[in-house]
Amino acid sequence: MRARGALVVAGILIMGYAAAGALTDPDLAPAGVLLFLAGVLIGHDIIVMPAVLAVGAVIARYVPSRRRPAVIAATVSAAALIFVALPLVLGFGRPADNPSALPSPYGRNLAVVLLVIAAGAAVPPLRRATGRKSFERPGDEAR
Amino acid sequence: MRPGAFPSRSRSARLTSQLGLALGATFAVCFLTGLLSHVIQHPPTWFRWPSRPVTLYPFTQGVHVATGLATVPLLGVKLWSVYPRLFTWPPFRSVTHAAERASVAVLVAAALFQVVSGILNVSRWYAPMPFYFPAGHYWVAWLVVGAMLVHIGVQLPAVRAALARTTTEADQDRLSRRNLLGTAGAAAALITLTTVGQTFRPLSGLAVLAPRLPDVGPQGVPVNTTAAGAAVVSLVTDPSYQLEVAGPGRRVSLDLAALNALPQHTAELPIACVEGWSASGLWTGIRLRDLVALVGADPERATVLVESLQAGGRYRATTVAPEHTRDPLTLVALRLGGEPLHLDHGYPARLIAPNRPGVLQTKWIGRITLLESR
Repeated sequence: MRARGALVVAGILIMGYAAAGALTDPDLAPAGVLLFLAGVLIGHDIIVMPAVLAVGAVIARYVPSRRRPAVIAATVSAAALIFVALPLVLGFGRPADNPSALPSPYGRNLAVVLLVIAAGAAVPPLRRATGRKSFERPGDEAR
Repeated sequence: MRPGAFPSRSRSARLTSQLGLALGATFAVCFLTGLLSHVIQHPPTWFRWPSRPVTLYPFTQGVHVATGLATVPLLGVKLWSVYPRLFTWPPFRSVTHAAERASVAVLVAAALFQVVSGILNVSRWYAPMPFYFPAGHYWVAWLVVGAMLVHIGVQLPAVRAALARTTTEADQDRLSRRNLLGTAGAAAALITLTTVGQTFRPLSGLAVLAPRLPDVGPQGVPVNTTAAGAAVVSLVTDPSYQLEVAGPGRRVSLDLAALNALPQHTAELPIACVEGWSASGLWTGIRLRDLVALVGADPERATVLVESLQAGGRYRATTVAPEHTRDPLTLVALRLGGEPLHLDHGYPARLIAPNRPGVLQTKWIGRITLLESR
């Protein structure tokens, strides 16, 4: 209990340090930081997550349960990669005078990676994934 | 929310706790490596940063960015696992409950802030961020750490119970949870595999989604600020260019011929950007310690100010501490790969020192001033 209290107090003090530091840093506009904090939170909670749940519902409705783990794995991987690569694909950060920044054809590359993921998900599941036996370790019965 | 609104059987306190542990680890790695990079760039008086090992900073900063990118699927699945709690009813049972929920909101917002702003920064897309990135990313890092400690303090008993070996779990739920954990791990691995080649050379062939490639750029080395971008082209190509070296007692001005006449040394050193990429180059030039000695100061103890010909900009000047000044690998480089520096690499002369962030490797040097001896 004492450890938990110490964690909470330390955490509150550090959050206070962060707020004080942000407010007194001449390089920082705190309003801009607050706006971005609110933006990512709201964007996640009312746009991204409902979209994820909708995709999940589609998978649950149309994909047979045997195939579901592979399809979910592929979808989660694809979503994470798209999240990371989207700013590169859009390319707004590519400076006109600096060809060494964002040098690759990211749209094509992302498409190739997504195809590889889809191909991985299309491989039939291993037999043991359907059999219950393989999940019993030797000696399980003894315990 | 009606029962069954979130029908997935994969959600469990155990899954959430395991992902929480993983996120605690990735955020700790990002915080410590980020804090290190911050104090190297803004050293407090007590802080000493060594010039060796040469590849230490490329490693720590490469780990910072790679870990941040790999955090994406872990954070995504973790937030999915607790999303139903957002609709807890009644929303606030007590003042304590309200405060606890507020701290979770701060944690989620700050964690998303760090990941999203980091991704935008490495892809150099600053327009969506209404703040100066390094300062915002730095202070919100402290916010994440504070909110995370509060969160751990509040949730510790729940985490302990969920991770206890005695917890019973239906076979199907266990399979489903393990599948999801494996999925988050595989997605993180895939992100790492397709990006880490920007700093880890053996995987550069797989770096199809890396913002940089270590051998793409003028003279085979990437560039951050170009000569045109820094508005120095006419200054550095002026035939009357001179590098001024000012010591306490002596002052010398060296034109290109004089610089080339001084003893030249060659070193293989990486440029390591705060954005997480690094690239090695074969640099040739004059040892900084030789220039310090030229104006009659002690290179073992000298702190040096290196200034660019850039009129402004945050990184137009840098201070070189004695640890780096005295290191024979610290060069005022005139050549890269045996040829005069490309304009974008800092022609006619640039600083290149071991174990230092790229933003401190001042390009287009116009003046070197001895500040003090330690």
